[in-house]
Amino acid sequence: MAASKQSMGRLLVIRSLKLRMRRVVIVLAALTMGAAIITAMAGVYFDINEKMSHELRSYGANFFVGPKEDQGTLSTTDYQHIVALLPEADRVASSPYLYGLVQTDLEQVVAMGVDFGQMKKLAPFWQVLGERVGVSFDERNVMIGSKLAQRLELKVGAKINLLQGNKRHTFTIKGIVNSGGDEDNYLIVNLSFLQKWLHQSDQAHYALFSIDNNMGQVSTIAQQLKKQFPNLVSRPILKVSASEGKVLDKIKLLMGVVALVILVLSILCVNTTLTAMMSERRREFALQIALGAPRKQIMSQIMQETLLMAGISIVLGLALGYVLAQILGHTVFSASINIRLPVFVLTVLLSVSAALLAAYIPAVRAMKVDPAKVLKGE
Amino acid sequence: MSEFAIETRGLVKRFGQVCALDNVNIAVRKGEFVAIMGASGSGKTTLMNILTCLDTHTEGQVFLDGQEASLLDEDGRRNFRAEKIGLLFQQFHLIPYLTALQNVMLAQHYHSVTEEDAAKKVLEDVGLGHRMDHLPSQLSGGEQQRVCIARALVNDCPILFADEPTGNLDEANEKIVLDIFQKLHANKHTIIMVTHNPDLGRYTDRVIRLQHGKVIEEVQN
Repeated sequence: MAASKQSMGRLLVIRSLKLRMRRVVIVLAALTMGAAIITAMAGVYFDINEKMSHELRSYGANFFVGPKEDQGTLSTTDYQHIVALLPEADRVASSPYLYGLVQTDLEQVVAMGVDFGQMKKLAPFWQVLGERVGVSFDERNVMIGSKLAQRLELKVGAKINLLQGNKRHTFTIKGIVNSGGDEDNYLIVNLSFLQKWLHQSDQAHYALFSIDNNMGQVSTIAQQLKKQFPNLVSRPILKVSASEGKVLDKIKLLMGVVALVILVLSILCVNTTLTAMMSERRREFALQIALGAPRKQIMSQIMQETLLMAGISIVLGLALGYVLAQILGHTVFSASINIRLPVFVLTVLLSVSAALLAAYIPAVRAMKVDPAKVLKGE
Repeated sequence: MSEFAIETRGLVKRFGQVCALDNVNIAVRKGEFVAIMGASGSGKTTLMNILTCLDTHTEGQVFLDGQEASLLDEDGRRNFRAEKIGLLFQQFHLIPYLTALQNVMLAQHYHSVTEEDAAKKVLEDVGLGHRMDHLPSQLSGGEQQRVCIARALVNDCPILFADEPTGNLDEANEKIVLDIFQKLHANKHTIIMVTHNPDLGRYTDRVIRLQHGKVIEEVQN
């Protein structure tokens, strides 16, 4: 019964690996580790923009819209139009800001009108003693900056009265804000109330936005708004948006370096193990050459063995890498990492290249074995 | 067609300054059983390596089955080994992870196609019909050498080269191997056996004796 060339070739590849299972396990472990790290790092790399952009929104607003210097205030109607223009998926939070002097029963203070409903996401860095005011139209509660509260000796739960001629409006202090910024000196009230109180309906001094910048949207939005609202100043807050880019670039570079180091270590480990394996098999290769095997067939046999091990390692590495990526995602970003198609392609290409690179020198040595010397035992 | 399976004319092989073979002229007729004998370092293994195309010569001419060896490139020498000669070594060179049958089929694999029935037949001929599925590690030395003989014979190659084929065998197994050689000789196989054992020379048609790389004697039995 005649059998195909391929079946004997397969037999040589599979049986030779089975015989050296310990070394094969080392190669598999090294390649699997390499593939897993590539999968995990690439998985995070391709998903990090989205995840980090959400994470970095805790830095606060990254986009400013306001009137040009000579044009007074920003109308909240324009603000609403701008909000409507922004892609909903990208807009994290926004609020107009209005400032004005108000008379309290204690002294004259600066009041800052904001959209309370948005402030938790827009100013997540505020440290609040007591509670935040969570409702935009709340006219009974206010927040107060920590420095102002200290000066007026006001505590959470205390009452503060706003006076205007015969008018009086009593607020309860719900939270004391410590931001490390100007807010610490203000009485923070709901925007619509302050507009009415100051007789500046529909007016704000500017608006701040927190926008996802994973694809560099902030710059695009700025250009778009400049065209549509030429009378407004629309610009990214560079301190924040540039920091996002820098942090992302550094994290990506770090992941690239980690993946590269692991890959190089994996190649070295595979190369060392394969060199030892090939050295053990010199007589085997010499015999095959003596029996008439073309030298390139020896090379091909070793490469097939390597590819078989790489194939198994890629499957194991992808599975392990997925788990690693999820652990990284949940530990660092508190979110799952989506493994995208390029991750699979990258893992397969890099793992196969690494395996073939590691096997190349041992395979060339095996191919060049001198059967006359080796079979004589020299 | 040449009447000689092997012929060398003025064969010289040098390794640097060392002359391993010096003007060797031998001719082995087809169907002849020849022993090449000599002490260690006499050049017999070097000669065998050149005749089996595992090595190349420095000067002179080598005709293998009528074809001049120096005209063969790497592929030509490989084809010659695969198609024209069976090789047998002192050490039982078998692939450790292949069974006896698969080791025999390996020679078929590099020759043309593997034929299991033919491989089984040749293993039965050397008395290993019951050991076909055993790995080399499960076989005795004599059995391993008989697998090597089966592998050398499976492609019906006209010339069998044996380098100290009984060097690692006990007396009983040596006799088995020599009996197989006698049968092959009777069937018109050309056999060239390298040995330093004078007793083995008696089984052959002719003994060619080497010393310091030169043929010093040819004795017809």
